[in-house]
Amino acid sequence: MKFAHRLAHIFWPRESNNQKAKILHSSSLIIITVVLILFQGFISFFPKFGPRILGYAANISPDEIIRLTNEKRVQNGLAPLSLNSTLSQAAQAKGADMLNKDYWAHVAPDGTQPWKFFTDFGYRYRYAGENLARDFTNPASAVDAWMASPSHKENLLSPKYKEIGVAVIEGDLAGVDTTLVIQFFGTNYADTIPPAPIAQVTPTPVITSTPIPTQVVPSVVTATPIPLPSPSEAAGLTVLTAEKPTVLISPFNTTKTVSLAIVVVLLGVLVIDGVVTSRRRIARIGGRTFAHLSFLGMILAIVLILKAGQVL
Amino acid sequence: MKHLARHLPHYLPLLGIFAAGVLAFYVSSYDRIFQTGVAIAVAVSYVAWGIVHHYLHRDLYLAVVIEYIAVAALGLVLVFSLVLRS
Repeated sequence: MKFAHRLAHIFWPRESNNQKAKILHSSSLIIITVVLILFQGFISFFPKFGPRILGYAANISPDEIIRLTNEKRVQNGLAPLSLNSTLSQAAQAKGADMLNKDYWAHVAPDGTQPWKFFTDFGYRYRYAGENLARDFTNPASAVDAWMASPSHKENLLSPKYKEIGVAVIEGDLAGVDTTLVIQFFGTNYADTIPPAPIAQVTPTPVITSTPIPTQVVPSVVTATPIPLPSPSEAAGLTVLTAEKPTVLISPFNTTKTVSLAIVVVLLGVLVIDGVVTSRRRIARIGGRTFAHLSFLGMILAIVLILKAGQVL
Repeated sequence: MKHLARHLPHYLPLLGIFAAGVLAFYVSSYDRIFQTGVAIAVAVSYVAWGIVHHYLHRDLYLAVVIEYIAVAALGLVLVFSLVLRS
């Protein structure tokens, strides 16, 4: 009975709560806000001390990322990109570097530029680009997120690029198990060199009957052989993939569920409050119920719209 | 309903702000900086609307302002916790 009274005090306008559900009092709202902040702090710091159970389960294949990328290019009147395994190896190395050094950026904390991975694997580029994605559950949402961002879209739909390499790497980033998608674009330097002109030697009258051979002007750029990593080295990159824990709790989905629960409860209590105070003709000093309902309704819509995943 | 109709000229701009906020979030998927800016702008507009509305109805008190700030802060934390984690 006491519990029922307590519940009514929290959720129903009555005398004990000055005709306004306790949960709608400013003090209660501030407490909920503080608890939410503490909860976020807990989710952020928990992986550092507790078991690694936070993460994003994903099912992303590099082939599908390439297929979707080319689909977008063709839709926009561009030539599809051809898969370059060297670029894929370079992308894999970039992903492994991010997991090893625990960073989420184009440039590593030690200043390593993404282009270093291109050259490390012997890819001599004329143009190069990098798109990163994390925490997505499927390839389509990652590509859609890149397309929604002007700078990533520019990379994806650039006519300058001819080749693509994609790596999908799973591992622990800042204590959270996640899936990184690394998309490398490039145009090989050799592909941009115009065909070497052939210098024809004007035939001069010769005394002998031996024909004069055609002289070919040598190419300006000499391909410098760059040592490529051995297959075992390349294969070794996959070893860096962390073992996936059996239980994965998505920090985003957990936050979303908690947020939805809070908003729905508050909306419900606000509706009850509005109806009850209107029927009882209660006059009180306070904010407008309809305004609060509209604001929280907007928050509910935003919470529903937001999706997991980050692009860089 | 009578109460709602009486405040309709004030509620319509408020609903317009909220609709613009939702639209902005929908259009700017994955643009965290823009979404953060939109969330702050809408929350500030909401508090400002509350102050102006109650001032015009001559029932503006500190408790009312605090209530709007508390609701806006809760909304901001709910949105930020997802935007910064998405």
